[in-house]
Amino acid sequence: MADTDAGQAAVLDAVRRGMIPAHIYNDREVFELEKKRLFSRAWLFVGHESEIPQAGDYVVRRVLEDSFIIARDEAGEVRAHFNMCLHRGMQVCRAEMGNASHFRCPYHGWSYRNDGRLVGLPFHRDAYGGEAGFPRQGQRLLPAPSLASYNGLIFVSLDPAAPPLEEFLGDFRFYLDFYTQQSSGGIELRGPQRWRVKANWKIGAENFAGDMYHTPQTHTSVVEIGLFREPKAEKRKDGCTYWAGAGGGTTYKLPAGDFDERMRYVGYPQEMIDRIKAQWTPEQQRVVGEDGFMISAASIYPNLSFVHNWPRVGESDDVLPFISIRQWQPISEDETEVLSWFAVDAQAPEEFKALSYKAYLMCFGSTGMFEQDDVENWVSLTNTAAGSMARRLLLNSRMGMLPDGSGVVPALTPDQFSGPGTAYVGYGEYNQRELLNRWADDMERPVPATGPATGAGDAPSAVAAAPDPAAPVAEAVGQA
Amino acid sequence: MTSMHGSVPSVDSLSGQSVLGGGASRLRRAGPSVSFGDERHQTAHRWLVDEAWLLDLQSYDEWLALLTDDIHYLMPVRVTTALGAGYDTSPGMAHFDEDKYSLSRRVARFQTEHAWTEDPPSRLRHHLSNVRTFATEDADHLVVESATLLFRSRGDVREGSLVSAGREDLLRRTPEGWKLARRTILVDDSVIRMQNLAIFL
Repeated sequence: MADTDAGQAAVLDAVRRGMIPAHIYNDREVFELEKKRLFSRAWLFVGHESEIPQAGDYVVRRVLEDSFIIARDEAGEVRAHFNMCLHRGMQVCRAEMGNASHFRCPYHGWSYRNDGRLVGLPFHRDAYGGEAGFPRQGQRLLPAPSLASYNGLIFVSLDPAAPPLEEFLGDFRFYLDFYTQQSSGGIELRGPQRWRVKANWKIGAENFAGDMYHTPQTHTSVVEIGLFREPKAEKRKDGCTYWAGAGGGTTYKLPAGDFDERMRYVGYPQEMIDRIKAQWTPEQQRVVGEDGFMISAASIYPNLSFVHNWPRVGESDDVLPFISIRQWQPISEDETEVLSWFAVDAQAPEEFKALSYKAYLMCFGSTGMFEQDDVENWVSLTNTAAGSMARRLLLNSRMGMLPDGSGVVPALTPDQFSGPGTAYVGYGEYNQRELLNRWADDMERPVPATGPATGAGDAPSAVAAAPDPAAPVAEAVGQA
Repeated sequence: MTSMHGSVPSVDSLSGQSVLGGGASRLRRAGPSVSFGDERHQTAHRWLVDEAWLLDLQSYDEWLALLTDDIHYLMPVRVTTALGAGYDTSPGMAHFDEDKYSLSRRVARFQTEHAWTEDPPSRLRHHLSNVRTFATEDADHLVVESATLLFRSRGDVREGSLVSAGREDLLRRTPEGWKLARRTILVDDSVIRMQNLAIFL
């Protein structure tokens, strides 16, 4: 990422001081190191269980260049397998979604059950000497090295020794419930919309994590047309940002009222509020009902973000909330594929689901009126970060911090903010610094080399596999 | 229509499947396309050409006036599915799923001084082709299909970007002339290669 180890250390040191070397937003070597040291071990979102509700349902999602089939097998278990035939490496599934009991490789016809097990090789006896020559039993598509889900959100890590997902998420789980657990039914996802932007993946993650400061400027137009009444500058700074565990986010300060009144203020119907009260802990309810903060945008390190806003969707003054989940999927140092889902409480009334979907489309996603202006900025920033002058410039990301490292404002006390982690009212770049500090920690930590794997179940796996110890690895390598 | 994707729902059923499409007319084509010499075809084709120039110029107030109050403007998300899967649009998800109100907000936003994504404005060219016109059971409605290719260029650094799509429109004769009452846009990309869709097709 720099010509020397010393150069790399200087970059990371500057990042930790809140002074960001501009070139990290468009630098081939930085991206190569991110692939090696960050995306090779982070927990990465690949989908939600509601996208594959029935046995045989699958979606195909990428982790950088690696394609994975995320499927619900016949026993109802969620599986994630590397989408590459054990024989000659063809993608065994070339659709992005569907329902299948088996995947048959189009090249030579090896076929696999949706739990990954190899069940068919044409001419097994003639070509391989049958079970005695090459035991089919125990052969399976390579499982994702680690696989876990939380509130139905499915994550994959390429690190077989990844810490447990819940441990990784840590106290951010408290906030995750606001987006993904508004009833015992959890959420349903629709989408994703997918599009590519010529912007570095970190910019969106930082923006959603904590950038309340951009809202009044970037999104002036959505206030002017009456779409969203909240972002006016004097109002936005009354919100707080919080960081807890693997993520952090922004909030808006709500007008006076109790929990029900404030949930109604952002557009939830009473029947949903009643289910939310049965679902959220007293502490979670206090963040809204007593502290008066309503979650808005958030990010989980490294590249998963959330948003919850409450625009007007028709001529009346009524507002309606929506939730979006999005992933900033890196393509290269200067290109990101955005995957943006609409999410809604599975038990919400159908009319609410329809209008919440409308609210999402008007605000975020490929056509969203918030999103349009964000991307314009991020593309411009990325483009400008490619040149030699950008290598000299340290971007100031110290908002909220005085020269001695102390805060411009004190952190909120537990009396003022009932959620875990650290929260501050007003404008600051606390969360962007948290995100990039984690980035710096990963970037300087080498990843142990990974040995070769075969389909014989010798790859470490979080999914229940039945490796056949009788299948010699060397033989499987030689013949598969 | 039958095709290789014979089991995929035809384009004129997609609007009715949207949870937001309830208010739109459900009129469908009747019979084969009319002759290119037919006055109805010439009327529809001219309407589309005039509209393309309005969209190139971002004359969005005039464009909005060409839409009926009950319009449904739909651009589903396309997905790659196996042949015979029975669908090739993302269930319940679109890029645009608009009524007159939401389209009017989009237009109003472009007219503020703070819609940064179009300030400076893009250079737009909506290329139009493959136009064919169908009668409906109501003489005051025509179904028109067309192909569109939008070229969009911004600034001086990035290459221009393209969106290719087929469209199925329902045109309605009104006292103020022909208006668009329903549009279904079948974009040809599953992953849009444009930074946003701050445009109309």
